[in-house]
Amino acid sequence: MARKFRVLASVLALSVSLSALAACSSKGGDASSSPSGTASPSAGASEAKDTITALLPPVSANYQNNFEQMAKDFNALYPNLTLKIEPASWEDMTQKLDTQVNAGSPPDIAFIGSDGISKYVQQGMLMDITDVATPDMINDFDKAPLEYMKKGDGLYGFPAYMEIHALGGNKQFLEEAGIDWKNVQKNGWTYEEFREAIKKGVVKEGDKTKRYGFVFANAGVTSKDYLNILIKNAGMPSAFTQDLKYAYTSKNYLEVLKAVRQLIDDGSMPKELSSVDAGKRWNMFLTGQTMITGKGLATFENSANKNNEKLKANDGSAVEGSIPVEYIVLPVPSFLGQPPVSSPAVDGYVTFRGKKEPTPEHKANVVKAAYFLASGKVAATTNNELFVAHITKSGREAAKSMTVNRNPDNVAAVEVLLSHAAPARPDIPVELGAKAIKLEDEVIIPKFQALLANEITPEDMYEAVKNAAIKEFGQDGVVQD
Amino acid sequence: MALYKQHSGNKLVKYVRNTAIAAALLVFAVATLFPIYFMIMSSFGDPVEAGAVSYSLWPKKISFDSYRFFFDYSPHSFKWLLNSLIVAASVMVTNVVFASLAGYAFSKIRFKGRNVLFSVLLCAMMIPYQVTQVPLYILVVNIFQIENTYSALILPGLVTVYNIFLAKQFMGSIPTEIIESAKVEGCNQLQIFTMVILPLSKTVLAVMAILTFMDNWNTFFWPFLVTNTMEMQTIQVGLKNFRFANTTYFAPMMAGATISALPMFVLFFSLQKYFLEGVTVGAVKG
Amino acid sequence: MARLSKGIKKRKIHEDGAWAYAFIAVALVVYAMFTAYPVVSAFLISFEEYKPLGSTFVGFENYANTFGDALFWKAIRNTIVYTALTVPVALAISFAVAILILPFKKWLQTAFKAVYYLPAVASGVALSVVWLWIFDPLPSGILNRMIDLFGIENQNWLGSSATSMFSLVLMSWLSSHGTSIIIYLAALLGIDNSYYEAAELDGASFLQKLWHIVIPFLKPTTLFLLVTGVIGSFQVFQNAYLMTGGGPDNATTMVGLLIFNNAFKYFEFGEAAAQSLILALIIAVISYFQFKFLGNDVEY
Repeated sequence: MARKFRVLASVLALSVSLSALAACSSKGGDASSSPSGTASPSAGASEAKDTITALLPPVSANYQNNFEQMAKDFNALYPNLTLKIEPASWEDMTQKLDTQVNAGSPPDIAFIGSDGISKYVQQGMLMDITDVATPDMINDFDKAPLEYMKKGDGLYGFPAYMEIHALGGNKQFLEEAGIDWKNVQKNGWTYEEFREAIKKGVVKEGDKTKRYGFVFANAGVTSKDYLNILIKNAGMPSAFTQDLKYAYTSKNYLEVLKAVRQLIDDGSMPKELSSVDAGKRWNMFLTGQTMITGKGLATFENSANKNNEKLKANDGSAVEGSIPVEYIVLPVPSFLGQPPVSSPAVDGYVTFRGKKEPTPEHKANVVKAAYFLASGKVAATTNNELFVAHITKSGREAAKSMTVNRNPDNVAAVEVLLSHAAPARPDIPVELGAKAIKLEDEVIIPKFQALLANEITPEDMYEAVKNAAIKEFGQDGVVQD
Repeated sequence: MALYKQHSGNKLVKYVRNTAIAAALLVFAVATLFPIYFMIMSSFGDPVEAGAVSYSLWPKKISFDSYRFFFDYSPHSFKWLLNSLIVAASVMVTNVVFASLAGYAFSKIRFKGRNVLFSVLLCAMMIPYQVTQVPLYILVVNIFQIENTYSALILPGLVTVYNIFLAKQFMGSIPTEIIESAKVEGCNQLQIFTMVILPLSKTVLAVMAILTFMDNWNTFFWPFLVTNTMEMQTIQVGLKNFRFANTTYFAPMMAGATISALPMFVLFFSLQKYFLEGVTVGAVKG
Repeated sequence: MARLSKGIKKRKIHEDGAWAYAFIAVALVVYAMFTAYPVVSAFLISFEEYKPLGSTFVGFENYANTFGDALFWKAIRNTIVYTALTVPVALAISFAVAILILPFKKWLQTAFKAVYYLPAVASGVALSVVWLWIFDPLPSGILNRMIDLFGIENQNWLGSSATSMFSLVLMSWLSSHGTSIIIYLAALLGIDNSYYEAAELDGASFLQKLWHIVIPFLKPTTLFLLVTGVIGSFQVFQNAYLMTGGGPDNATTMVGLLIFNNAFKYFEFGEAAAQSLILALIIAVISYFQFKFLGNDVEY
């Protein structure tokens, strides 16, 4: 009896200590292998079978429906390679990807925004494809978006598109308010012009505002978008200047904050701005509660057209209370005489590596898959659905046979914006970039939300940002003007 | 039930009192139910994007399009429900068996290290999942290499400390005399467990079964992490895939949420008869 | 004779002990693998600067950083406030509802149980979308329309520091208490009628019966719900994440959200692990006191 007791007790102790042992060993050890298959020995390797895994969100409306076709087409192109695509939603994608990266076994390819590259480079989990991508592949891409996929000396994937974040206007309301939007599309507008213009767009019914001049989604983390889009046009196209000083301590920053407050206090923007989310701002646009909405992506033109069709069909499926709307692409106003700089968002197929160093053959195969997804027919279909410009020669070729129904004025407006898009900054070291991100999350966004809710003044926020920046980067690491 | 005065003489007072209570309960119920009501009503709407959704209390048009959309969206929609069912049912059974065993041991058997062990078990519950996810993921995917299988979905939840704790608290109220008298009659612990404890614990076991099933059915993040093909996903993961691009297909998501809530009801009603009898009652007198 | 029976007793205890270990064996193995191992890993990681390709040992640096981080302490304060406002109220509500359901006939009891249980079953994500609409800040939002009836101006529920925490708390109060209600009901039904009858013979009123019989009898259940409630509430982050993102000005940033950000957004997994362990320590201390006050098992 006593022996049984002792045996069981030692089994218990053993299992608990085994788990502790496993905890120590697994981190240093090489127990994990990258999820994709490893290529067979080097001789004749290009013919060896290989699997490439890709984690892809719903980039465009039909993107996920096409997964099977894409995998088939890829296999037809390279019979020895299998493309295994795993779908995820936008919100959860980063969590899953991050867990996998932390565990040391991410997928080979993931579709993320290029601003995420800096984060993963720091961990050393990205696969540099500079030496494996063929010159043909590289030349297929437009220079500007490709730069966004670089960091330091490395190229970490291929861009899918370069989308411009702008504003969207209701053509009818704009014209009623006497705004020459065609001119604005061509030549932009200053903040003062903008402020006056949106005042004209406000329609009141007694004490209540029936229609606002301007609405921008600011709920939760989307407040980041609003602030960034404005400061780019105020002489601060990036968080760091060319000599790597933190830019947001400049006086221009304070001016922008004041402007944000002015637009709300004028009554042109709702005072509940901090809780307006993406769905709400679009709903307000469709129901005529605002003249201009933000952020405005080119694809919204498509959504607006679809709703107009539903209204015409009168089958009750259109948004309740909506009116026919013609969507007009509008640029963000520029501040203080600074040149307009539009905010691009470059998303693309980023290449990852696991704990084990990938073989050269596998690297080449992953590059083939990434290129397949980012160019040619796949890119053309996706970009057309999103109403974005094509950034590869092969994409433009493939798109020739597809029809797109876009307002030519809008197309021209986007071209103008693309021409002065903020340039990529692969020269910013990852440590600085990470500090800037943390500052943004822990100081800037919370304070900005309070500013929108009128709980602090612009001066308060500016002081807070300045102090935090000096603490983080030192007196010499920030801009002082 | 004898907590309240019976008022066997004055039926009117009893009636009034009961109605007053019912009214209070109803008001509170309405407040709690409102989001559910909205969820179900929205599921009858058109499958359009959320930005385009009009929030109304009564649907403009009732259509089952969203339900059809949900099932058409992926050939795996049924498989998702099936997967959830298999995983949740397995975990429910294993938990009821092993957690009750452990709960009994901790509450009624005096053994060496009982309190220390229990405290250790409890403390592990206090670490947030964000941090335990990564090592667990390493364990399941890298070391055991069982990703994308039912094992990966079931094993980590085989027995939870929550359930052991629950069983322990409830079994603590079983009178010790019964156990002592069984021992005197020569039963060993296993016999005591199966013949004495289990019948007296039907209530807590039913509760545990429902709670475990429900919790497992609703869980999202772990299945999301360890499955990477659509056919292995559970219903909650499949539901999340309705967030498209920058919008959400609102009505189909609500339709899916309503569908996934249905099996819970079936389970609830089939197990609820165990709630209506105080099964520990009568044990003392016997 | 005495020595013999003592020997038998000792053997019985050893035998019991063996049975106990057998009973908890499966639970322990599962625990060791899937719970203990990750926790031990987290503990080790908290002393490192974690990189998947190879971590570096940094000693107590992560802990020092956390203790010096003002945001961490703000988050702790927020979390404590949130817990203090939600857990006791949730317990009180479930207790009250469970008691109130008692006098009815079986079918009505079942109906009410189903009604209260239902929201627990609905997906949390779907529900948060609904709540976002309820908290819509424009005058057309549901809650705003209701307070308009009282002549109060529309509030920016989730966007202003004054109301954001309250909104999250309100959401918790009105969410499903089905689980707790069911557990309380199950425990209530275990109280033998003879106790009530004895009390009535002594002339006890409803409240006296409640105080002297029900509440003591339900102590183990209350302890369970309190401990698990606090543990759960301290780790809460989903609502804050989905509804307010932690703002405005970090008014609703919970520790769970901070840990999440550190682990996934900034990739400072070591620091996240350190924060988790500090959080766990706080919870453990609170639980210790809960056990002390409520933990004396009532033996009948």
